[in-house]
This record gives sequence, C-alpha cells and structure tokens, in this order.
Amino acid sequence: MDDRGTLLQVRDLTAQFNLDGVPSRVVKGISFDIAPGEAVGFVGESGCGKSVTARAIMRLAPEGSSVEWGGRILFRGQDLLTLDEHEMRDMRGRRIAMVFQDPMASLNPVMTVGAQIDDILCRHTGVSRRAARRRTVELLGLVGIHDPALRADDYPHQFSGGMRQRVLIAIAVSCQPDLLIADEPTTALDVTVQAQILRLLMRLRRELGMALMLITHDFGVIAGMVERVYVMHGGEIVEFGEIDALFAGPRHSYTQALLAAVPRIETARRTA
Amino acid sequence: MLRMVLVRLSLTVPILLGVSMVAFGLMRALPGDFALAAAGTTAVSDEVLRTTRRNLGLDRPIWEQYGIWLGNALAGDLGHSFATRKPVAGELLPRLAVTAELTMIAGLLAMAMGATTGLASARLRGRTDWIVRGLNSLLLAVPNFVVATLMVLLFGLYFPTVGIFNYVPFATDPLANVGSLLLPALALALTVSVTISENTRAAVLEVSSQDYVMVARAKGLLARTILGNYLVRNALTPVITVTGLQLAALLGGSILIETIFTIPGMGQYLFDSVSRRDYPVIQAIVLVSSTIVLMMNVLVDIAYARVDARVSYD
Repeated sequence: MDDRGTLLQVRDLTAQFNLDGVPSRVVKGISFDIAPGEAVGFVGESGCGKSVTARAIMRLAPEGSSVEWGGRILFRGQDLLTLDEHEMRDMRGRRIAMVFQDPMASLNPVMTVGAQIDDILCRHTGVSRRAARRRTVELLGLVGIHDPALRADDYPHQFSGGMRQRVLIAIAVSCQPDLLIADEPTTALDVTVQAQILRLLMRLRRELGMALMLITHDFGVIAGMVERVYVMHGGEIVEFGEIDALFAGPRHSYTQALLAAVPRIETARRTA
Repeated sequence: MLRMVLVRLSLTVPILLGVSMVAFGLMRALPGDFALAAAGTTAVSDEVLRTTRRNLGLDRPIWEQYGIWLGNALAGDLGHSFATRKPVAGELLPRLAVTAELTMIAGLLAMAMGATTGLASARLRGRTDWIVRGLNSLLLAVPNFVVATLMVLLFGLYFPTVGIFNYVPFATDPLANVGSLLLPALALALTVSVTISENTRAAVLEVSSQDYVMVARAKGLLARTILGNYLVRNALTPVITVTGLQLAALLGGSILIETIFTIPGMGQYLFDSVSRRDYPVIQAIVLVSSTIVLMMNVLVDIAYARVDARVSYD
C-alpha cells in the first residue's frame, strides 16, 4: 500500500450460500485493500465470486436467499460485518454506493427518475423535498442528462439504456460516498455508450474524490481506468498488482488466458 | 387522461347494445311466457292468454317489441313489471341499493383480507406463508353458498342472539344495517379474498426479486419506503386486474347469498322474476348489472393508468 492509508481493508472474506440446505462457498477467504480515492479493478469470469464480494461489502444478499459472510470488512477501521442492519442501512448509499449491471431493470418503473434520486437524498441528508429536488436536477446535469429539470419528471421507460445508467450513477454519487462499487456497469450497454459511461465514472471519481471498485470480466474495460487490479478465479484472488505490470507480465496462467481474450488490433488485422 | 376515460366510456355503448339484445332475446327463447306463468295452469283458454298477451304488447313481432323497449330504456324508462304493473325502476332501485351495499362491504372485506394475507405471506414467508396458503386452498375449495349455509347453521344453533336473518333497512338504523350485512358479506368475500391473496403474494414475490428493489436496498432506504414505493406500487397492477374482475363476480355471487340470508336485494328479485317470466324486470336487471360490470372495467383501466405511467391507451 502507499502512503494514502486505507479506506477499505478486507481480510479472509468468505461467502457461503445455503441452497436447500447444501452449503456452497463462493468466496474462499480473500483479502484486499482499497485506498481513499483509489481506482481498483476486479477482473474474472462470471461466477468467480466478484459480484458476491461487492455485495458483501454492501451486505446485500439476493432476495430470498441466505448468505453467511465470514472474515472482516474494515471500512475506515470499522468492521461492517459486525454492524446491525440499522447501522448498515445508514452506510449504504451514503458511505458506500453501488452501480449495478443492468440499467434497464434497475430503476423503479412506476416512479419518476427524479423521485428516485430525491428519496435517497431525503433519506441520508435530511433535506426537504424541495431542496432535494434542486440537488437532483444538479446531479442529473452532472451525469450529462440534457434539460435535467424537465427530465427529472420523466419515467425510466422514457430513457435509453445509457441514459438510465447515467441516472443510476447520479443516484449512486448523490450522497458523495467514499467508495463507489461499479459491478459490470457497462456490460449491458452498446460499445460506444460503454466508453461514455466509463469516462463519466472516471470524471466523477476525480471530481468527488471517491474510491472506485470497478468489477468486470473484460480487461479492455479497466485498461486506463484503474491503478491496481485483482484477478479472481473460483472464489479466490489468483493475482494482483499494478495494472501496467500485470499487462506487461501476467504471472498466473488464468490472467494470461484472460489477457489473451482481449481482442487486439494486430490480431484482428491478421485474421481479416 | 380525460380523453382516455371518454374513449373507454364510449366503447361501452356498443357492448351494452349487444347485451340488451341478448337479454331481450334469451328471455323470449325460454319456454313459456308471462301469460302462461301468470295463469298458473295450462288449463286456461286461448282467449284469456291472447288477451293478456295483447294487453302487454306480447302479440307484436319481436323486433318491434325490442325497438319499443330500447327506445324507452334510452329515455330512462325501463317499463312496467308485468306482475305488479308498477314501474320497474321504482321497484329495482331500492333492491339494487341493498345489493350494491352488500357487494361493496364484501369487496372491501375481500380486498382487506386478500391484500393483508398475500403481503404477509410474501414478505414473512416461512410459517406465515404456509398457514396462509393452506387456508387459501381450503377456502378456494369451498363454494360461498356452503360457507353461508355453515354460517347460518353455526349462528342459528349456537348463537341465536346474533339474529342472522334480521335484515335492518338502512333508513331505519344505518349502523345496525351494516351490522346485519356483515355475515353475508363475509360469506361472499372469503372466496374472492383467496384470489386477491394469491395474486398479491405472487406479484409481491415477483417484484421482490427485481433489480430495482436491490438498488433501493443499496440506497439504504428504510424498509417501509421500499415496501410502499417499490414493492407495493409495482405489485399493484396485476392485483388491480384480478380485483376488478372479482368485484364484478361478487355481483353474481350475491344472488345466492341474498337468498340464503333472506336479504331483499336484486338477487331475490331476479330469481322471482325469472320464475314469473316478468320480461321487463329481467331485462332491466341484466342491463343494470352489465352496466355496473362495464363501469368496473373502466375504473380498472383508469386505476392502471394512475398506478403505472407506462400504460397508455392512445
């Protein structure tokens, strides 16, 4: 670690699901650190446990399932796994926020997008409805929605996928969290829109001084985005390091395989 | 919104016209007619039957009879009862009011019971879910007239002081009136509440696993905000559909219940009129009931649009 200190220290984190009484461990004792304001990438294939790791930090179990978390998740020195649900609710959205994979399904279809930003502001900052709405319009402008004052009264179905992801990012950064977890934030989007969303995330991280935990299966996404990378495979961290070093000389065979999966211009020319 | 309501309302006109034809035609397709039923015997001279029929206009061609009736009905005149010779509207309205009150109380009971049990079942799961679903299966298997009969037996034998057959008119004592309708309304409501309960449960479970509920939790919102704005508001649409249909069905169910509890509503009136072949009364009841059902559907459509901004009928 460098001299910035640590924001998040995860030690021996385990996650175990109980499916019909059969325990299945999907995260097998991983440890990592994130410094304040730092951008860290988590890369691995589907089912490698990276999303479960993200949800563990938020302590969000999928609806109707039971997860047992083990180990320690120290956020500013406080172990999140020991907080009660009430304290954890104050943490979510305010200190640690999350952007999910599918923007098409992540907004409440029966509420205006403005109301969905208002409610988190009212919950965590204790401002009036009217003040919240002013801030909501600012936030929508910040994430690049045109005519934010008008668009705040529109419903999610009136927005495209990329615009909805912008709204979800506005929700996530609304209370200026210390840590933003982005779980495959661009996977469901068109390639051109992907780049815009990634640039937006980078800009907001800089402007708001947030740490960013960027989870993806695609090394192409994190190139140029993060400083350090953790490579996950089978519920374990198999390799980590500075991104440039990792690109230059991957040590673990799985990392080599992942890097080989990123299409390159030269190979594309050769096969064309 | 106003445009949508007007379009919906105008669409009910051709439907009602069709209903009026069916109501008119079906009754006349039944064997026997009022003249025969009124005579009470087949040993009656043709002369007498012919006179009765001529007096009531039943000797004219059927399309002419229909035209006259429809014209009058459009002008608000539902005709005179063959049996009592009084205007149908005057006889029907007080009875309609009783039936409307009964179905309204039953509807409120069914919605309250169905929504509460369904929501509890979906949110608490476990033992609550198990008990609610067990009760629902049981209630669904027992028709409402059996429930009503059991209630009559139970209260008649063991709690005679309750006075199940003491219908109190609203004008006499409004409170006692509602009280006297509670048991019949409950008998009527139970089966309907099962449908609402099961649908509420399914809708809430479905919505619970949606991504936007996970997002709401990730926002750190309070449990009651998530329940109200995210779960219930989204689960409402499918529940409104079945509730609307079920409330219309209550109207039909009330006929049996009114007969069992001897409530002077539309059900008994209809039953008597069918036995007497009292065409104007039957036609009026069918027309009025159909109008109520259609209005219920329009209300459901409006409720959709209110709940979900994606719904558009243009």
